[in-house]
Amino acid sequence: MAQRTLITALAAVAVATASPAQENPRPEGLTALGPPPIPADNPMTPEKIELGKLLYFDPILSGNYGMAGAACHRPEAGWAVQAPISFGYPGTTHWRNSQTIINSAYYGKLFWAGSSKSLEGQARSAARGGVAGNGEDDMMEARLAFVPEYRERFRDVFGDDWPSVRHAYMAIAAFERTLVQTDTPFDAYMRGDDAALTDQQKQGLELFAGKAGCVTCHNGPLLTNEAYYNLGVPRYDGWETDELAQITFRFELLAKGVTEEKYRKYKDDPGLYFRTKQEADLGKFRVPSLRYTKYTYPYMHNGMLETLRDVVVFYNEGGGENEFAATKTGMIQPLGRDDGAIDATIALHEATSGAHSPTEAPELPTMQPLPVAQN
Amino acid sequence: MKCLQAIAVVAGMLSVPAFAQDVTPEPAMDVNAARAELGKRLFYDTRLSGDTSLACASCHQPDKAFTDGEALSSAYTGAAHFRNAPTLANVGFRDAWLHDGRLGTNLNDVAREMITETYLMNMDMRIMQERLKQDPVYVEMFAAAGMSEPSNGGARNALMDFMKIIQSRNAPFDTGAMSSAALRGQGIFEGKGGCASCHSGPRFTDDRPYNTGVPNNPDIWSDPERHSAFVTYAKFMGVENYMNIREDLGAYIRTHREPTKRSFLTPTLRELTWSAPYMHNGVFATLQEVVDFYDAGGGSDPYKDPRLQPLGLVPSEKADLIAFLESLSGDSFDTDAYVWREDDYDYALIEDWLNTEN
Repeated sequence: MAQRTLITALAAVAVATASPAQENPRPEGLTALGPPPIPADNPMTPEKIELGKLLYFDPILSGNYGMAGAACHRPEAGWAVQAPISFGYPGTTHWRNSQTIINSAYYGKLFWAGSSKSLEGQARSAARGGVAGNGEDDMMEARLAFVPEYRERFRDVFGDDWPSVRHAYMAIAAFERTLVQTDTPFDAYMRGDDAALTDQQKQGLELFAGKAGCVTCHNGPLLTNEAYYNLGVPRYDGWETDELAQITFRFELLAKGVTEEKYRKYKDDPGLYFRTKQEADLGKFRVPSLRYTKYTYPYMHNGMLETLRDVVVFYNEGGGENEFAATKTGMIQPLGRDDGAIDATIALHEATSGAHSPTEAPELPTMQPLPVAQN
Repeated sequence: MKCLQAIAVVAGMLSVPAFAQDVTPEPAMDVNAARAELGKRLFYDTRLSGDTSLACASCHQPDKAFTDGEALSSAYTGAAHFRNAPTLANVGFRDAWLHDGRLGTNLNDVAREMITETYLMNMDMRIMQERLKQDPVYVEMFAAAGMSEPSNGGARNALMDFMKIIQSRNAPFDTGAMSSAALRGQGIFEGKGGCASCHSGPRFTDDRPYNTGVPNNPDIWSDPERHSAFVTYAKFMGVENYMNIREDLGAYIRTHREPTKRSFLTPTLRELTWSAPYMHNGVFATLQEVVDFYDAGGGSDPYKDPRLQPLGLVPSEKADLIAFLESLSGDSFDTDAYVWREDDYDYALIEDWLNTEN
């Protein structure tokens, strides 16, 4: 009954700010998702979005003309990869879980440790990364110039004499800013539609925003505060069983510039540490949005939790343990919820996931011989 | 340990005594035999390319004196090359490398260029290093070569040492077993043919660039995969107006001086019987075509070297000249000394990974 009391108390606080038409007050710290921010230096136009869609699906932006953005963020797989670790470039494997493109437009920083400041930068890093696209800008830009349709479209959209690869990344980002979902049952509920959530989902929301404390980090319209924490997610188990994964793990330590001592020693992903080189940031990853989660299994930065139930149980048990125990957040403590509460929390994710929204790949233009004096 | 010993034995065989009976144009270069043996294995390993599709040996094949038999070489997946793959025979003795001579340091740099260039092997060498560390044969071979563990710098040094042992062997010119036609051809080569003014020294090259008016190869510009690789190269080298170029500028890309346009390093004349087609862009399929080209005074180009003049050779003189050129070719390189025969390119799982230092 203590729980009921607390929820009532929270409700009393919430009621002060909720719209009067609502039968149930809405929890604090949560809102419906509005339109995504559009950077002033990359305004949206229908032509740019259309170009970006082509480029998102076109393997021309990779080293081997074989790895499109869509290769590791597959529309039919929740705009992600439904495996613990993303696909790697041929001959390699990746080392982190592929994140969905849906609603990526809202993040302030991209990638699990926030290494990219924009979708434009993310597209570039993915096209060039050794275990992702493994492309080189000069080559990718040269290839774009050999596609008559791209010459025309880049001229129309950006005024380019010849397609600029930087503009390619801008167009992709513009396309990705259309891949947003603001009409989930959760959004409808937050906008005042009391019937948008089932009773079980409402119970889940109460827990989420109340006793379970999820809202401490998973708040705001995106359901994330975009801060970085170590929850004690166990290390990726493939590192012990997969030769290619062992190669990639060492490559990342080497490429991201840790000291030799750490390169020799670490057996887990240092996460945010790679960016800050502060030991206090070891093993920390950005809080992900909880939108579209139904389609983006498995979960966590390394896909080590297979189902939403696994995730909820993980939190219910107070998180886990990894080799960066010293940085594990104290905000996660065992909750001791029963199965009903766990079911309700999972049900809430149905409401924040909305409908699956894959897109069909467009027909792609190809390189053609380039006659003299085209431009 | 058994494997280590085996490597040591093989490595020992590779050093000077194995070649004692061979006649080479120049004395063998000083190399670390174990490192050269390591380089040999690396040379045939496709894991030195980004998508594991190409080895050095893909375009430098031992049975073709380390060329590929194509006018224009293959290249990385999604690309194609705009130049002919040169022989690696005696490559360690060169003063400069690549047809435009843009590398003039050492074979370590040449290896780096080939491995990392986006349209060639497109390899992030940090990944390459970690691949090598995952292969127990390499771990042993690096140790046997005096290196603590596989590294990309060590791999390049090993490739350098392997390339240094690729020497022409037992060419009739060197053994003294030349035919009378070849001997007559030598007279033309050194005399009225004027060939020796550039094709000089034991390798028959001065390693310097000249414009001989070799015709453009239209296949570069009709194939977007080749042409886009060329654009990438020209842009990277800082050539102006690179989108509208439809000719290979040769040494100009490093000098940026107009008169050096379309000049290319004098190629070695060693191993020609193995390494057709000819010229930097493979436009000539046979030695007959090459000799006809020079007999006509080379091609047409405002910057052509003025020493190239019509020679007026009669057919028998041309035949003699070709016989001489053929006498500069020696034994096949398709032998155990130059080929890693074992198909043993595997990764091994590091079993006790958590307790093993990376």
